[in-house]
Amino acid sequence: MTDDQYRRDYAHHLIEQVNKGQMTRRQLLVRASIFGFSATAAGSLLAACGGGSTSSSPAASGSAQPAPKAGGTLRIGCRESIAAPDPITMYDQASIVLVQQVCEYLIWVENDMTLRPVLAESWSGDETAKVWTFKLRQGVTFNDGSPLGADDVVATFDRLVDPDSGSAALSALGGILSPGGTKKVDDATVVFNLDKPFAEFPATVSAANYNAVILPRNYGGNFLKSPVGTGPFLLNKYTKKQNATFTKNPNYWQKGLPYLDGLIFKFPADAAAASLAMQAGDIDMQAETPFQGSQALFADPNLQVLEVPSTGLRQVFMNVDKEPFSDKRVRQAVAYCIDRPAIIQALFDGRSTLGNDTLFSSLYPNSPKLPQRAQDYEKAKQLLTDAGHPDGVTITVTPENDLEMPQYAQLIKAQCEPAGIKVNIEMMSYEAYFSGDPAPWLSVPMGITAWSARPTPIQFVNVMMLSDSVWNAPHFANPEYDKLAAQYAATVDEASRMDIATQMATMEQDETLQVLSFFVTQLSARVKNLYDVAGINIFLDLSKAYLA
Amino acid sequence: MTRLILRRLLLMVPTLILVSLLIFTLSEILPGDVGRTILGPYATPEQVAALNAELGVDEPIIQRYVAWLGNFVTGDWDTSPITDLEVRPQVMGALGNSLLLAGMALVVIIPLSIFLGVVAGLRKDGLLDRGITISTLSLTVIPEFVSGVILLVIFAVTLQWLPVTALAPEGSNLATRLYYLILPAIPLMFIELGYIARMARVGTVEVLARPYIRTAVLKGLPRRRVIFGHVLRNAMVPTVTVIGGQIGWLIGGLVVVETLFGYPGLGKLLVDAAKTHDVLVLEAGVLVVAVLYMLSNLSADVIVALLDPRVRQRA
Repeated sequence: MTDDQYRRDYAHHLIEQVNKGQMTRRQLLVRASIFGFSATAAGSLLAACGGGSTSSSPAASGSAQPAPKAGGTLRIGCRESIAAPDPITMYDQASIVLVQQVCEYLIWVENDMTLRPVLAESWSGDETAKVWTFKLRQGVTFNDGSPLGADDVVATFDRLVDPDSGSAALSALGGILSPGGTKKVDDATVVFNLDKPFAEFPATVSAANYNAVILPRNYGGNFLKSPVGTGPFLLNKYTKKQNATFTKNPNYWQKGLPYLDGLIFKFPADAAAASLAMQAGDIDMQAETPFQGSQALFADPNLQVLEVPSTGLRQVFMNVDKEPFSDKRVRQAVAYCIDRPAIIQALFDGRSTLGNDTLFSSLYPNSPKLPQRAQDYEKAKQLLTDAGHPDGVTITVTPENDLEMPQYAQLIKAQCEPAGIKVNIEMMSYEAYFSGDPAPWLSVPMGITAWSARPTPIQFVNVMMLSDSVWNAPHFANPEYDKLAAQYAATVDEASRMDIATQMATMEQDETLQVLSFFVTQLSARVKNLYDVAGINIFLDLSKAYLA
Repeated sequence: MTRLILRRLLLMVPTLILVSLLIFTLSEILPGDVGRTILGPYATPEQVAALNAELGVDEPIIQRYVAWLGNFVTGDWDTSPITDLEVRPQVMGALGNSLLLAGMALVVIIPLSIFLGVVAGLRKDGLLDRGITISTLSLTVIPEFVSGVILLVIFAVTLQWLPVTALAPEGSNLATRLYYLILPAIPLMFIELGYIARMARVGTVEVLARPYIRTAVLKGLPRRRVIFGHVLRNAMVPTVTVIGGQIGWLIGGLVVVETLFGYPGLGKLLVDAAKTHDVLVLEAGVLVVAVLYMLSNLSADVIVALLDPRVRQRA
């Protein structure tokens, strides 16, 4: 069948699913965007669905928004970076959002997980989902004057999947794209030949893979020395741990944009300093507002706090290679001690999405519907007795020393006690948790690790849950699950995907490799007269932002 | 006197060598390594090992120490592999900032605490003495992050009289920079006031009990002459010593204030260097603080010798 026919079939399939009530309209938009339908095409798909109408634009504010106004300098506060910003190896908030002002991705990920074309104008996969063709936007130039072409994209991705580069992108694309798999067809077209079928490939070359900014083909390696990119701003000056200043790119490919004249990034050293800076009017927005320590911002009449449900999570993993977690009944017992709504209330004042011990969060379109786990001490005690621990068991949890995870550990400790599970909390510094070989975050019996959001569940599964996954903290190794995951990645048909996903989620919940009580709702405090900021936390697109 | 100074200066050298060796050894024990810090938690162990080998981090410690020492004493402070910034401008810049803040605080603290201490000592056990002692002690025990936050909320957020960060915009003149430092200097004043005023009070009380003071008063000397000519000079001995000791903290130890007020000083630089395994910055920073600490103690001792002729004679 031809590619066009294939796309039509897929479109029909999506519409059918909505009409049958198996998918919501919003979910259709997400799946369509991943598959490569443009926003207008997706809109017409929606229109073709029976009944109702919906706007295809994800951003919708209740009250009338003032018209865009050019000018002004926006001051942004974010968590300071450790190493110098380098697009290939960056991994922390400050480095990532700084680079995102100068460089751009093929595809941007909106807050509701839909994919928006940026440097890629459109894309489509063939029916094997192994060959993906991307059409590049024309008329885009890097800020040094050179035009964007296929050679730049090929060079970028070859660089990212090169094992010597040390990039986190390698883990996202490992086993999917190899060096040499990216090919130029002509100056405006790039083809990705994948190692294995992957239905959601576009998500892995989107902003969700934060190192995947498109750099010039002859990128030398020192970003600070020559910050070349296609983005809306130019890096003026970067003073380590103090601030970074940007000015608008006069030759930006989106004419008339950006509205802002310049940006100043400041790096308040902790949540208290950041909160005070916002209240005093020293910064206009925070890339991410941690809930703890920022209560004053919610009450401040001059500020608004954006809340974006996301699939960011706190992985409370249990290592199956360490006692007593080798028996899944013990792991399940721990899960049944947890009062999830109470934890969400205590840690975030209710601002979170309920989790069910599977990576297939309810936030994803077409997520499997499993019975929701809740606190059940009877069951927990029974499971412990069955596993040979009638008098309870002692476990040690090592939380990442950051954000609210130490408090989470305290809550787990308190909630496990009535079932006879005695929890010792082992605190170590943030640096110690992530260093060493093997590092504690991948080897302790029980730990709590923060993961940032991903637009598709397979991006979590591939790096966390497979036998050969690089960051498999629970040391889960199940060939059946591996097979299902490979099938899920390769399958395009929605009904089959749903089926496989249900099998995988059921297995995850049963095996209880990790307790996932909630999915984090990202918060970002902003001044009220700031509009059209796209993204939150490690996604910051200010091309259309303005101060009215 | 000159012999005293020369001897102390010479003693600084072995002390500094010992300190540098200590820092080098201790940073071996710190968790993490340079490669991991640069590449982040998500890089594979192989990638980290490769980077470490490239940076020469896994060579034997003696070899690395000698190499570092050789570079350091000839003035080559190198570039940090983690931040890609040169060490000397970073450390010297942070030092300049810290000196400014410490200077700002001391300019107010020294006269004020001496005044309060002497007054308290003169009116020993009176209402003024009790008032001064209790209030300065209470202010001393308030942690900087508590007083700092309260001050910020009142003066920077609610009243908006003073800026919320301590770093003036680039290119500001001295007056502006000092204006920005008013708020962060206050928690420091609170803490130091207790120590120094107390020392001044103790010194005063001790001196007042001496027979020669009674002689002076009975001789008919006006009270002012007694105080300024005799009491003050003798009360300064313990006070100056304490101030000399506190300078080290005021320059290199203000991590909390620097964090809260976003001020890039030496304290925060050192803590960050320790956390990120940035040994070059850590060594340079610690040695700078050590030198300043020793110099300030030396100056305090010289001043004491000037104040007290008996010390000069003994030396």
